[in-house]
Amino acid sequence: MTDIPLATAEAAVAGTDTGRRAAPYLPMPRTAARAATLAGAVISIASTFMSWTYTTDFPGDLTVSGYPGGLQIMTLIAAILTGVVALGAFGTPGLRWLNPSRSPNSVLLLALATLGTTWYTVIDIAAKLGGFANLDPGGFVAFIGALVLFAGALGLPIDRRPQEPAGAEYYELGRFEKYAAVVRTYVWLREARLHHSDLRVADARKLNPWLQRLVIVVVYALGLKILTFGLATDYSDIFIGYLIVVAVGFWGLGASGLLKQFQQLTHRNRRFSATVGVIAAIAYPFVQNNEHWANLGVSVLIVGTVALGLNIVVGLTGLLDLGYVAFLGVGAYAAALVSGSQFSIWSGVQFPFWAAAITGMVAACVFGVLIGAPTLRLRGDYLAIVTLGFGEIFRIVVRNLDGVSGPKITNGPNGIAQIPDLSVFGYNLGDNHSMGSFTLGRFANYYLLMLLITVIVVLVFTRAADSRIGRSWIAIREDETAATAMGINGFRVKLVAFALGASLAGLAGTVFAHVTNSVVPDPYQFSGPVPPNSAFLLAAVVLGGMGTVSGPILGAALLYVIPEKLDFLSKYELFAFGLALVLIMRFRPEGIIPNRRRQLEFHEDEELAPGNRPMGDDTVPAATAGA
Amino acid sequence: MHTLPQQLANGLFIGSMYGLIAIGYTMVYGIVQLINFAHGEIYMTGAFGALAVYTNLPDGMSIWAALPLMLAGGAIVAVLIAVGAERLAYRPLRNAPRLAPLITAIGLSLALQQAVFLWYPHATAGKHFPQLPGDGFDIGSVSVAPGDIFLVVAAVVCMSALATFVRTSRTGRAMQATAQDPDTAQLMGIDTNRIIVIAFAIGGLFAAVAGLASGLKYGQIKYDMGFQAGLKAFTAAVLGGIGNIYGAMLGGVVLGIAESCASAYISNIPGMQQLGGEGWKNVWAFVLLIIVLLLRPQGLLGERVADRA
Repeated sequence: MTDIPLATAEAAVAGTDTGRRAAPYLPMPRTAARAATLAGAVISIASTFMSWTYTTDFPGDLTVSGYPGGLQIMTLIAAILTGVVALGAFGTPGLRWLNPSRSPNSVLLLALATLGTTWYTVIDIAAKLGGFANLDPGGFVAFIGALVLFAGALGLPIDRRPQEPAGAEYYELGRFEKYAAVVRTYVWLREARLHHSDLRVADARKLNPWLQRLVIVVVYALGLKILTFGLATDYSDIFIGYLIVVAVGFWGLGASGLLKQFQQLTHRNRRFSATVGVIAAIAYPFVQNNEHWANLGVSVLIVGTVALGLNIVVGLTGLLDLGYVAFLGVGAYAAALVSGSQFSIWSGVQFPFWAAAITGMVAACVFGVLIGAPTLRLRGDYLAIVTLGFGEIFRIVVRNLDGVSGPKITNGPNGIAQIPDLSVFGYNLGDNHSMGSFTLGRFANYYLLMLLITVIVVLVFTRAADSRIGRSWIAIREDETAATAMGINGFRVKLVAFALGASLAGLAGTVFAHVTNSVVPDPYQFSGPVPPNSAFLLAAVVLGGMGTVSGPILGAALLYVIPEKLDFLSKYELFAFGLALVLIMRFRPEGIIPNRRRQLEFHEDEELAPGNRPMGDDTVPAATAGA
Repeated sequence: MHTLPQQLANGLFIGSMYGLIAIGYTMVYGIVQLINFAHGEIYMTGAFGALAVYTNLPDGMSIWAALPLMLAGGAIVAVLIAVGAERLAYRPLRNAPRLAPLITAIGLSLALQQAVFLWYPHATAGKHFPQLPGDGFDIGSVSVAPGDIFLVVAAVVCMSALATFVRTSRTGRAMQATAQDPDTAQLMGIDTNRIIVIAFAIGGLFAAVAGLASGLKYGQIKYDMGFQAGLKAFTAAVLGGIGNIYGAMLGGVVLGIAESCASAYISNIPGMQQLGGEGWKNVWAFVLLIIVLLLRPQGLLGERVADRA
C-alpha cells in the first residue's frame, strides 16, 4: 500500500504544543526502547508459529507448529499491529500513515493488548491444565516476547498529562490533603495518566474524495469482518482474548489518531458513510447465513433502538427515565392485543403491521403523557423516581389483569402467546425466503424489518436533534433556568421529548412482541436477568455515550453480546451494570463515544486549550447544524 | 379483621416503617438536593447486617439480649455503606451536571442489591428472620403483633431523638443552616462536608432500624426488599414535603393508612370490584404519588414550592 501523505506535515507540530509532557515510564536509552519494542513484536509473532502446549485439551488446539491457531491468532494480530504502528511512530517511511499523531502512546496501548491477550492465554493454559509445566517452549517464548514488547514500549517517551501548576489544590483528597505523601502519590498518579486526545493529526479531508470513500468502505468492511469474527468465536477463552485485543487495540488506534482521521472522513462524507453503514448492516444476515446470528442481530437491534429512543430522553434532554422499558411493554402489549392471537381478548382483531405499529406508538405515547404531564413541571429528580415507580407498577398491573385479581386483559403472568408472524405487503416474515443463493430465515426477515425501524429512529433522532426543538432540549439539559429565561417553554419541550421517546419505544415494542411470539410481564422491569430491562438500557446509553447516535447502539450491542458469549458472567451481569454506572459517572461520564458538547460540559473544570478540540461524535453539531 | 380500626392500625404500623426510611431520603435531599436511590438498598443491608449478627450469636441467647446487638450490627453496616457511598461516589460528583449523581445512585442501588444476592450466604431466596417471643394480642377490635409494637416504639423514639438533636444540638442547628443555604453556612464556619456525612449517617441509621423492624414484623428478609420499600419511602417523603423530617414521618403514616384502606375498601366501590386487594396496593400508592405531585407538589408540610431548576 502506498504511503498516504497525511502525516508528513505534522511531524514538527507535536513538539511545539505548550504544556505537553512526554516521559517514559521505564527510563532507558531511546534506541534500546525502540529495539526492545521491535524485537518483542518479532518474538511474539514468531512464537505464534510454535506450539504453546503439549495437549489438545486446551480449547483451540495450540499444539500445532507451523501456523497459528485459536488464541495464537489474537497474539499474532496484536503483535503485527503493534510492530507496524511502532515502525510508524519511529518514522519509517511508508508506514507513517499508521500513526498520524506520531505518539508512542498507541504503541504502548497496542503492546498492552498483545501482552494482555498473550499472558491471558498462557496463564489460562496453566490454570486450566494445572501448572506451567503444560507449556511448550512456544508458550514461554510468547510470554517473554510480550513482556519484552511491553517493556520496550514503556521505555518510549509516552505523552502524559501536563504537570500541575505548583500549589495546585486537590479538593477531592479532602482532609488527606494535609499529608504530603498522599498528595505526592496522588499527583504522581495524576501525571502518570496518558494524554493524547489533543494531539494534532493531519487532516484526512485533504485526501482525494474518491480515496476518502474507498477508505470508508474498507473500514466498514473491516468492522463487519471483526464483528462477525467475534460472534463466530465458539468458546469463551478465545472470545476473552478477542475482547482484550479489540478493546485495548481500539484505544491504541485512538491514541494513534487514526480514529480521529476516520471521524474526519465520516464527518465530511456523512451521507455516504451512513449509506455504507446501512448497506453493511443489511449485508449482515447475508454474510452470516445462520438463524442464531440473525436472532442475535435482531435482539441487538431491538435493544439498540430502544436505547436510542431512551437517549432522546436522557442524552438530549437530560431527563432520567428509569421506567423506559415499560413503554416498550405498552407497545408490545398493544401490538399483541391487536395481533389476532387467540389468547388476546380481541382475538378476532388482526391489524396490519402499519396499523399495529401506530397502535403501539399511540398507546405508549398516551402513557408517556400521563406520566410526564404531572412530573415534568417539577425538578428532574421527581421524574426519575416516578418513572421508576411506573416501570414497577406496569409489571404489577399487567400481572394482575388476568381475570382473577383484576379485569381480564393481559392474561397475567401467562401473557399473550402465539402471536402470529407479521406479514408486510404479502411478505410473511415467518417463512423462509430464498433470494438467489441466499436464504433468509425468520429472524433474518425480522432483522431487516427491525433495521428499517432502527434507520427511522436514527433519522428521527438526528433530525429532531438538529431542529429547533432539539436545540431547546439541549439548552434545557444544560441549564433549564437559563433556557426558560431565553423563552423556551421548558415543560412543553420536555413533554415532547418524553412522549417522543415513549412512542419510539412503543414502536420497537410492536416488533419485539412479534419476534418473541409472545408477551409476558417479566422482561418489563427495572432490573432483571434478561434484557431489555430499564437498567440494561440505561447502562447501554451511559456506556455508549449520552447524546450520540452510535453510542447507545454500540453500548447495547456490547452489553448484549458480551454476556451472551461469556455465559459464566451472566450471574454477575446486573452487579456489573450497577458498578459500571457508578464508575463511568466517576471517571468517564461522556461514555465510549463522547458527544463533543457533552464532553465539554462534563469536564468544565479541566482546561481545554483553544484549538484542541476533543475527539467526539458530532451527531449533534454545534455551529455546523445548518451546513 | 376488616374493621376500620384494624386497617388504620395496620396502616400506622407499615407507615412508621416507611417514615423511618423516608427520613433518610428527606435529610439527604434537604441538604444536597440529591435523591439517594440507593437508600432502599441501605435499608436492606441494614436488615442483613442485623441477621448476620444474629446468626453468629451463641445458641440459646434470648432474643431480647440479642436485639441491641443486632441493631448495632445492622446500624454499623448501613451507616458504613451510606457514608462510604457519599465519600466515594457522590462527593466527587457534587459539581457535576445533575444527571450524573442520579445515575450513580441508581447504579449503586443495583450493585448493592446484587452484591447481597451474590455474596450473602444463601440469600438468593428469602432469609428467615428471628421473631420476638409472645403471641399477638387484641386492643379492642384491633389485633397487634409484638413486631408491630417494636416498630411503633422504634419510630417514636427515633423521631423524638432526631427532633431534639436537630433542634437543640450545635450540629443539629448547623444542619438546619446548611439545608437553608450551604454557601452561607460555610462562610459562618460550618464544615458542610461533615454535615453532609452526618445526614447520610443518620439516614443509614434509621434505615437500619427500619430494616430490623421489618425483619421482626414479617419474619423474612430478601435481597430485593429495598426496591419497593425505597419507592414507597420516597413517595412518603414527597407526600410529607421533601426536606422536612416531620413531613417524612407524617407522609409515611398517611401513605401506610391510604394503602391499607385502599386494599380493603376499594373493592367495595361499584365498578372497581376487582381493583382492591393486596395485588393492587402498590398501584394505589403510586396513583397517590401522582395525585400529590399534580395537586400539591410541595407535599403536606412543605412550605417551599418545589424548585423548578
